[in-house]
Amino acid sequence: QSFKLLGFLDVQSVPCARESVLYGSLGSLVVGLGHFLATSRVRRSCDFAVGGFISTMLGYWFYCRYNLAQKRIRQRMLKEGMKNRMLFEGSYLDPERKQTGDERSDS
Amino acid sequence: MANHSQFGFQDASSPIMEELVEFHDHALMVALAICSLVLYLLALMLMEKLSSNTVDAQEVELVWTILPAIVLIMLALPSLQILYMMDEIDEPDLTLKAIGHQWYWTYEYTDFEDLSFDSYMLPTSELPLGHFRLLEVDHRVVIPMESPIRVIVTADDVLHSWAVPSLGVKTDAIPGRLNQTSFITTRPGIFYGQCSEICGANHSFMPIVVESTPLNHFENWSSLLSS
Repeated sequence: QSFKLLGFLDVQSVPCARESVLYGSLGSLVVGLGHFLATSRVRRSCDFAVGGFISTMLGYWFYCRYNLAQKRIRQRMLKEGMKNRMLFEGSYLDPERKQTGDERSDS
Repeated sequence: MANHSQFGFQDASSPIMEELVEFHDHALMVALAICSLVLYLLALMLMEKLSSNTVDAQEVELVWTILPAIVLIMLALPSLQILYMMDEIDEPDLTLKAIGHQWYWTYEYTDFEDLSFDSYMLPTSELPLGHFRLLEVDHRVVIPMESPIRVIVTADDVLHSWAVPSLGVKTDAIPGRLNQTSFITTRPGIFYGQCSEICGANHSFMPIVVESTPLNHFENWSSLLSS
């Protein structure tokens, strides 16, 4: 079963969505409460709380998605490398074979 | 293929579709932020007394000019990146021609010997057990996996559209015109699509089925069909 925030954002299946919303809520609480404790102005504190929610949520979202994109690129490179290793093993293109071949020639 | 009552995208089977799904998630997160702000402002306005005291609003004018500009930049940059990515055509390993007719598709593999066949929908009465109603065809488009495929789409009579959602492909089939698209399948499998341009009575009954297989299986299939 999926839970859709405001009816459209499926926080369970979208990577980083759940953490972004949770950190956003925490940020909103911290900023709003902090501002209220400092100034005792309710209305302005609510404005800061909403602003804190949006900026923390989007800030964590960009950070998480950037890390996810880097992981995916590394995963693709690893997959390609594993495929190439299996393909070239034992052939003249095998980098490990080249190394041992050089050592032998030196001795 | 889509499950019943499915609302979101199908699982991505090509790199372009993976990028499109990521962009869609990003756009939804921006939409969530905007909706939260609008809901909050709406709630504020409902609690506010009506007054017309405002004569000068320089700060709010600045805010509601700069914020939308930032939102547009956040959406436009990844969108344009994907748009240009979709137009990149690497050297394709295979060229496939898809010709739309009323109401079936013809596929031509002219890289090899003359290999071409028609692809009709399987009627429900002839559907084997466990197969998908209105989606299965008598002859599937078989392609090698993890190879760049170029598809040239055209039509013989009226407008059609060759679409496979999980590959992120939708190209109009226009009589007298050749449209080109390309894709790479990241995994073996069977991918379903349907004609996406109204073309007459049986527009909903000319599906597309792409079967992605390892290269040796594709070679066996093509030699079998050619003979």
